[in-house]
Amino acid sequence: MPSTEVPLPGRLQATFIPHENAMAWWGVPDLDGAVRDHGLPAGRAGTCRLAVADRGQVRPATVPVRLVDLDTATSALLASAPPAGHSASLRAWHEAARLPDGDAALAALAERMPAAAHAVLNREGTAIVAAAVLLTEFRQAVDARDALRSTTIHATLRPYQEHGVAWLTARSRLGQGGVLADEMGLGKTLQAICLLATRRTAGPHLVVCPTSLIGNWRREVARFAPDTPVITYHGAQRELPDTIPPGTVVITSYTVLRRETALAATRWDILVFDEAQQIKNPDAEVSRAAAKLSATAAIAMTGTPVENRLDELWAILHVTNPGLLGSRSRFRQLLAAPIEQRGSATAAATLNALVRPHLLRRTKADVAADLPPKQYSTVVCTLTDEQAQLYRQAVGRAFAEGFGVGIARRGRVLALLTELKQICNHPAQYLREPRAGTGRSGKFDRAVEMLAEIVDDGDRTLVFTQYRAMGDLLADHLTGTLGAGPIPFLHGGLSPRRRDELVRRFQEAADGPPILLLSLRAAGFGLNLTRAAHVMHYDRWWNPAVEEQATDRAHRIGQQRTVTVHTLVTGGTLEDHIAQMQEQKRGFAEVVSGDTDAALARLSDEELRAVLDLDPGAVA
Amino acid sequence: MIPAEFGSTPWGRAWVRVVGATAAAGPNALLPKARSLARNHAVELTTEPGRIEARVTVSGAVQPVRVEVPMWSRQTRAEVRLLLEKSAAEQPGLIAGDLSDTVEADLRRKGIAIAAGLDDLDAECACRGRKRPCVHILATLYALAQLIDERPALAVELRGGAAEAVDPPSRWVALTALDAATFYGD
Repeated sequence: MPSTEVPLPGRLQATFIPHENAMAWWGVPDLDGAVRDHGLPAGRAGTCRLAVADRGQVRPATVPVRLVDLDTATSALLASAPPAGHSASLRAWHEAARLPDGDAALAALAERMPAAAHAVLNREGTAIVAAAVLLTEFRQAVDARDALRSTTIHATLRPYQEHGVAWLTARSRLGQGGVLADEMGLGKTLQAICLLATRRTAGPHLVVCPTSLIGNWRREVARFAPDTPVITYHGAQRELPDTIPPGTVVITSYTVLRRETALAATRWDILVFDEAQQIKNPDAEVSRAAAKLSATAAIAMTGTPVENRLDELWAILHVTNPGLLGSRSRFRQLLAAPIEQRGSATAAATLNALVRPHLLRRTKADVAADLPPKQYSTVVCTLTDEQAQLYRQAVGRAFAEGFGVGIARRGRVLALLTELKQICNHPAQYLREPRAGTGRSGKFDRAVEMLAEIVDDGDRTLVFTQYRAMGDLLADHLTGTLGAGPIPFLHGGLSPRRRDELVRRFQEAADGPPILLLSLRAAGFGLNLTRAAHVMHYDRWWNPAVEEQATDRAHRIGQQRTVTVHTLVTGGTLEDHIAQMQEQKRGFAEVVSGDTDAALARLSDEELRAVLDLDPGAVA
Repeated sequence: MIPAEFGSTPWGRAWVRVVGATAAAGPNALLPKARSLARNHAVELTTEPGRIEARVTVSGAVQPVRVEVPMWSRQTRAEVRLLLEKSAAEQPGLIAGDLSDTVEADLRRKGIAIAAGLDDLDAECACRGRKRPCVHILATLYALAQLIDERPALAVELRGGAAEAVDPPSRWVALTALDAATFYGD
C-alpha cells in the first residue's frame, strides 16, 4: 500500500526499533517539519513495519519514519524535558531515557506506555512487541552502548551489529548463553569481539574455532580491540600461564579442546564456539569436551540455518543453554519427531517459542538497507605444520643457491614466488599430487568449510584461482564432498563453446551448480555471473585492478543483492605480508601499486628475505 | 528408536488406551480411519480445562465435536500438584510444558487416572453415524493424544490441574487485543 494511504495520528510519535538500534519518529505527513518543530535530531529517512490505529481497528502498516541512532536519540531526549503537548509515546520515551535501574520502575513505565510507543510488529504482522520487552531491549541497548564507549573498539558498527552486541551483552549479563546465527558475511566475529572486549573483569574468555581460523581470530581481535590481551593456545608448544588475567582472550582449536583437559580446569567468563557446526554431533568427543567447560555464558556462532536441523539445534543449545531443550531423547520424543514425522504446527510453535529468545539470526536480506553493494572480507588462514616446513625449505634452498643478477634473477625470484604460493594453496599442488584432502592446508580447509556453509544457505559462489592445477584439485574435492553434483572449472583450456555452456548453466539452469571455479585469466570481460552472491579469491594476483574486474563478474549492474568478497590469505606468509603492504599503502611502491612480481625481483636479497620469510609469530 | 506415532509418552498413551478400549470386545474398523484423520491434519483441536472442542474435516465436510472431560476433585488436584512440585525440584532440566514420566508412574500408583474412561466422557458429534463413539470423536481423541505427547502438561491441565505455575510474560501482544481508541494514549 502506498505510504499516502497510511492513516497517521497527526502528532509526532516515537518508537524504539531494536533491529535498527534506533528511535523512529513518525506519525505526521510533514515528518521533517514536525521533527524540527520538536527540536529533535532529524536522523535518516526510512520505513518501518508498525501497527497503526485505523477506523476503530489496529492494523499493520508500512510507515514512513525518521530513524535516529540510539546515541543521538537518547542524548536529545535527555537534553530537554518534554513540553506539554507532546504525544504520549514521545513522553514515554522521554521517561525511558531517564529510567532508573530496577524492574519495578520498568514495569511501571511499561504499564503507562501507549501501544504506539511499542508498535513494532512481529514478522507475521499479527502482534506488536510487549512494552516491558521493548523497554528491556532499550535498556540493554543503552547498556551495551555505554560498555562499548568505555572500550577501545576500532570499528564502526552497523546498526544491526550494535543490536547484536546488545543482545550478546544482555545474554551474558543474565548468565545465559545463546546462538548468534547471522548469515555469513554479516560480521559475527566483530560482534563477538565487542562482547569480549567490554567484559574485562569477570575472568578470561575462551574462543574455540577450527584450526584454520585461529590466525584470523588473533588478527581480528588485535585489529578491532587492540587493548585486549590475546593468548593463542595451539600447536605443539602451547602453554597457558598458571593464572590467566581477567579479560584475556584465549584462542584455541576444536582439536586442542578435544585432547586437552587443562581448559576444563579454568573458570571462563565467556566461551565462544565459532563455526559451531563442529559440535553438532553430541556423541563426539569434542562436543562432550565443550559441554564440560565452565563459564558465565557460552555463545555459539554459526552461519548455517541451524533452526531447521533439529538434532544440530539440540546439540548446540545443549552446550550454550543446557537444559533448555531437555534431554536428547525427550526432545526427540516431544518436539523433533512430531515436527519431522507429521509436520506438527503446535510442536514447531513450541520449539520456536523456546528457542527464539536464545537465537539471533539475521540474513543479508533482513539488513539489506545497512549493507553496501560490495562487502570485502579478508580471511586469514592458519598454516599447517607440513606447509610451514615446505615453506621454510623452499625459502632456505632458494637463498642458499642464490638468485644471480639481471634476467636470471628475475626468473628465479618468480619461480620461488610461485612455489611459495603453491605451498600456501595446498601441498598437493606444490608436490604435483593428483588429489588434495583436508588437514594439510589451512586455506584449503577454510575454503571448503566456507563453501559448504554458503551451499547450505542455498547461495552461489564464484571461486577464482590463478592456477589450473589448483582449480582441478578444488573441483575434484568439492565434487566429491559437497554432494551438490559436479563442480565445474572454467579455464583457458576449454573451448569457447564449452565455456559458454558452463556460464549458462551456472547463471540460468534450475539445477545449476552452486559453485563455479574460474581461472583468473580465463574470466575475461563480458561474463555475467550475477547469480553468485559470494566471490572468493582463493589465491592472490596482487593486482587490485585485475581482482576487482574478476569480482565484478558477480557484481554488475542489475545485481540486487550485496556481493560478499572473501579474500583468503595464509597468515605469516608472503601472501600476508604483501596483503598488509597493499592494505596499508606502504612498503615498496610497486608492490603497492600492482606490478608485484617485477617489483619483488628488483629487491636486494635482504629486502626480499624480509618479504618472503615466514613470520614465526603467525605460525601456531 | 522412532517414537510411537500416537502415545509416544505415557501421558499421551493414557488417552490412546481409552480409544483402544473400543476394540476390547472385537476389532473396531473405525480406528484405522480415525488415526488416518489425525495423522493427516484433519482435526483442529482446542482445549480448556474439562473440555475438548474439535473440527474434524472428512471429505470436505466439517464435523464439530465436543467432549466434556470430568475434572479431578480438589483433593486429587492438590495431590497432583505436590507430585509435580517434587518432580520439578528433582528434575530441573525439563523442557517447558514437559512433565517427568516418573510423575505418571506415581499417579498410577496412587490410582489417579490421567485420562477419563469412555463411559465418563460426555462426547457429542452431530454426524449421522450410528456407532458411538463415532470416527470423528475417535479422531479427536487421537489428535489429543498427539498434542499431549508434544506437551504432557496438557494432560494435567485438561483435568483441571495446574501443571505450570505461571506462564512467562508473553513477548507479543496480538493486534486484536489492542484498543484503537487508546492506541496513541491521548
